[in-house]
Amino acid sequence: MKPDRTEIVEDLNRLMAEELEAFLRYFQMRYRLRGVDRLAADKLFEEGTRETLEHAEAIAKQIRALGHIPRLKIELELRGGATNLQEALAEMLEVERQALDAYKEVLPRVTGDTMLEDFIRKQISVETEHVQEIATLLE
Amino acid sequence: METWKEFEANELTHSAAHHLLAIYEVGLEYGGWARVSDIARELSITRGSVSINLRSLKKRGWVETDEHHMVKLSPKGQKAVQAVMAKKAVVMAFLSRVLNVPEAQAEIDSCKVEHLISQPTGEQLVHFMRFLVSEDPLAKEVLARFKNFHDRCPDSKTCDVCHGHCLIEELQHAGL
Repeated sequence: MKPDRTEIVEDLNRLMAEELEAFLRYFQMRYRLRGVDRLAADKLFEEGTRETLEHAEAIAKQIRALGHIPRLKIELELRGGATNLQEALAEMLEVERQALDAYKEVLPRVTGDTMLEDFIRKQISVETEHVQEIATLLE
Repeated sequence: METWKEFEANELTHSAAHHLLAIYEVGLEYGGWARVSDIARELSITRGSVSINLRSLKKRGWVETDEHHMVKLSPKGQKAVQAVMAKKAVVMAFLSRVLNVPEAQAEIDSCKVEHLISQPTGEQLVHFMRFLVSEDPLAKEVLARFKNFHDRCPDSKTCDVCHGHCLIEELQHAGL
């Protein structure tokens, strides 16, 4: 008998929501940025939108591989005025840290499932790198 | 300032009030400390959202965080939570015990206004409730009479409350 994957799928749905919400945040952030660093920051956030969308898609594929359909629940209202690079990066760091913690939280629940475990470990590695990069920029 | 604009200017927004209440609820089991993941589950939102919202709560001095990103209410945050909970309790009591609004609806409506009503209004509501549920025979009679009061709009559609526009009809037509 196949193990009940409902909880794992729920975890994956939550991870997908984190990624897609991050995508929307970075998308808006690009247009909130002002100041001399805007062009450099714009590129950073453009990469952020691309990567978060790729991550969300990778998670959706995992959900499909488990025989389920991705479900998305996002409650989000993005406001906020013009911002500078420092503030934008601080916000990005928060979002990336939470994504990293979310993947770490899921890891013990998928341990033993080779495909999912590999996937989550890879995501943890990528997110750890992101967090370190952003933290370095903020130093 | 026009009154409707005060919703925007309100320092404690609906979202902020719910974040503070969630931190309070989650923290009850852990000596006041809450994890972002637990707050997110309590509010059914993402961890990213909680984390970003916490930044603003922290700036306003309502919450404190430690080096492990654990969160707890500051003394100012605790006062805000107590005030919100008190207002919610009195509005809910008023709606259910005085106006006879079903409890589930009273819960929803009191949640919507808990952070919006001012302190003086909240205090007056408490006084009014205390009077209504007191042993004063007049209060008991008012409550009993209201319970049995079957309101019928006059044919003219005017009364001392509505002044030419039947408010009951307008509420029923809105159906919200």
